[in-house]
Amino acid sequence: MRKSAVLLAILTLVFSVLAACGKSNNNSSVSSPTASSPAATQSASPAASSPAATQSASPAASANTNFQVGMVTDSGTIDDKSFNQGTWEGLQKATQDLGLKDKYLKPAGTTEADYLQEMGNLYDAGYKFIVTPGFKFETAIYAAQDKYTDAKFVLIDGSPHKANDTTAVVKPNTVSIFFAEHESGFVAGLATALQLKEGEVGFIGGMEIPPVQKYNWGFQQGLKYANDNLGTKVTIKKENVIYQGTFSDVAAGQQIAAQMYDRGVKVIFAAAGGVGVGAIKEAKTRGESGKDVWIVGVDVDQYADGMKKDGKSIILTSAMKKIDQAAYDMVKLETEGKFPGGQTLMFDSKNDGVGLPKDNPNLSPETISKVDEVFKKLQSGEIKVAAEQGNLIK
Amino acid sequence: MKNSLIISLCAVVFGLLAGAVLMLATGHNAVTGYSYLFQGGLKNPERIGNTFATASPLIFSGLAVAFAFRTGLFNIGVAGQLLVGGFCASVVGLNLDLPKVVLLPIMLIAGALGGALWSVIPGLLKARFNVHEVVSSIMMNWVGFWTVYYGVQSYIKNPSSETESKQLPEAATLKAHWMTDLFHGSYINLGLLVAVVVVIVVAFIINKTTFGYELKAVGHNRDASEYAGIAVNRSIVFSMAISGAIAGLGGVALYAGNASNIQIGILPSQGFDGIAVSLLGANNPLGVLLSAIFFGLLYSGRGFMNAMTDIPPEIADSIIAIIIYFSATSIMIERLIRWLIRRRANAKLNASQDGKVKSSHVEHD
Repeated sequence: MRKSAVLLAILTLVFSVLAACGKSNNNSSVSSPTASSPAATQSASPAASSPAATQSASPAASANTNFQVGMVTDSGTIDDKSFNQGTWEGLQKATQDLGLKDKYLKPAGTTEADYLQEMGNLYDAGYKFIVTPGFKFETAIYAAQDKYTDAKFVLIDGSPHKANDTTAVVKPNTVSIFFAEHESGFVAGLATALQLKEGEVGFIGGMEIPPVQKYNWGFQQGLKYANDNLGTKVTIKKENVIYQGTFSDVAAGQQIAAQMYDRGVKVIFAAAGGVGVGAIKEAKTRGESGKDVWIVGVDVDQYADGMKKDGKSIILTSAMKKIDQAAYDMVKLETEGKFPGGQTLMFDSKNDGVGLPKDNPNLSPETISKVDEVFKKLQSGEIKVAAEQGNLIK
Repeated sequence: MKNSLIISLCAVVFGLLAGAVLMLATGHNAVTGYSYLFQGGLKNPERIGNTFATASPLIFSGLAVAFAFRTGLFNIGVAGQLLVGGFCASVVGLNLDLPKVVLLPIMLIAGALGGALWSVIPGLLKARFNVHEVVSSIMMNWVGFWTVYYGVQSYIKNPSSETESKQLPEAATLKAHWMTDLFHGSYINLGLLVAVVVVIVVAFIINKTTFGYELKAVGHNRDASEYAGIAVNRSIVFSMAISGAIAGLGGVALYAGNASNIQIGILPSQGFDGIAVSLLGANNPLGVLLSAIFFGLLYSGRGFMNAMTDIPPEIADSIIAIIIYFSATSIMIERLIRWLIRRRANAKLNASQDGKVKSSHVEHD
């Protein structure tokens, strides 16, 4: 009797320790990229030159250096290589620089009730600066900004509104942040065309929602600009523009990418979360066997995700939106007493809120210099990228 | 019955112990961890209400799995049935303009029918062609996922969001002011009461009716039941339909109670949690009710534990997973207990036999 109880206890212990090891390994792998995160390139704070700088209406006039920063994750994990990770890396960087405490919580589901519950938990535990990434938080933030009036909220990629009503209501304790995905897609398309010079390209989207659509439309405009003005001959066909419908179906992403490559596509722009991970996987497999296929990454610099055995990546470049920087800036502004409450901020090419990664090992120097040239025109407003479909594909 | 209660409690205790070891191993204080976990679920009326609200859909999904289990079927398609049930109820709720007392029953019926429709197909396939219900019901999950995806986008799309259905009007939700007020603004709703009623009804059907007896008999031994004159195929279809209907009601509780619209592109996790709830509840309706509330407590207290301590959410998830693991392997615990009892009995027997042998020796001498 006693012997078996001891045996069970040992088994339990071994099992748990093993589980713990797995976990802590995971944790370290999550935190290690943080140390070398692109967030480190913080020299020029974009918000300083953004509308955020016009502070007259801001209610938070006094500097505040004693607060705790909380984040509620969207569906998906903290190391999703996209929204959650980008936001969290920015927050971590900010809290390390400024000596604050931070914490993220993972809701049990994706309903408004789940989100509100976690915000309530953060609030009760004293985390009164709450950052939420993703449009799914729109209605939850709408409710929370009234429920917790002494807390501050940052909603990335969305604006708080009532359900069934698109009118944005940004209260003085909330900031809503948007990105110009179409401009990011434009430069990525431009770089792709310049690098490829001639051939077929494709696009894989996740859900057919505005941010993803804008990436697609911008990308096509970038290709067209290069074809019209810079002498490239890159084409995109209707059947090679596909929205898979989810952000999670890795297998489907791999399949769609395989079909596109079989149809002769050379470069795929994958703005599709987990579906994009599948596409990267397919490109890597083909790349290992010497095929000339590429992926354009999205949201963050995905170069490292496409690394082959020979140390080269199949990620041509990435259409970034600097979520981490946005998160960082908001925390910083709060410490300076300049929290832009009540405002809706746009991060675009003008304030370096979107663009390509700093290092692009797969782009030639000529491509990079030409892209830089055009990017400057974009910043100065000489070139305009449409955020609407117009006569573009899908 | 009593035995299964002990086993389930053992599973919970082992799970909590293993969770404690996990917390200690990662350098966290298990006592404060658990105290915040339970505080998070029970500290004030709002949190208690949230615990019950989290538990409501789990009661339905657990019950759906348990009912199928009792009749020898493994309904793994509860997630899809929840989704379709919730979708049918939402369509009714958005299109009929009726007073709440009339509308809610109609929505519940629509939800039950939707869920039943999604489970009766695997049932028919099983009865007719002996297609295994695990395979067909899990495939129905994805058929349901994409059907609802298409249905929401084409017919009831929210004007302000691409990925959600329209918000249900006040009259078409299970939210009740008196309940919200009673629990200080929690999102608890009438779904809980419906769940309790369904638990009682199912317990009655399984334990007290001939119909329930027939269903169980088919589950125990299909051939013997057929020999005894039970319409086996009809029983299989019926038990799948009822199981799906329960799940469909859960969909109403989830999408018209806890939430008030449907998000597309997400298969509700409550469907798969239902399997764990059912296992921990020993496939017994009352057991399911209790184990669902326990899971509700874990899920709603978890966030508070993360917020108040440095235990990362992933560790909290692992702790819940370990508890599920132990409850899922409750059969192992049962065997262990039986083995211990047998060993003790053997030891006694040996001892008494030894005594006899000795005494016989004495006689011989």
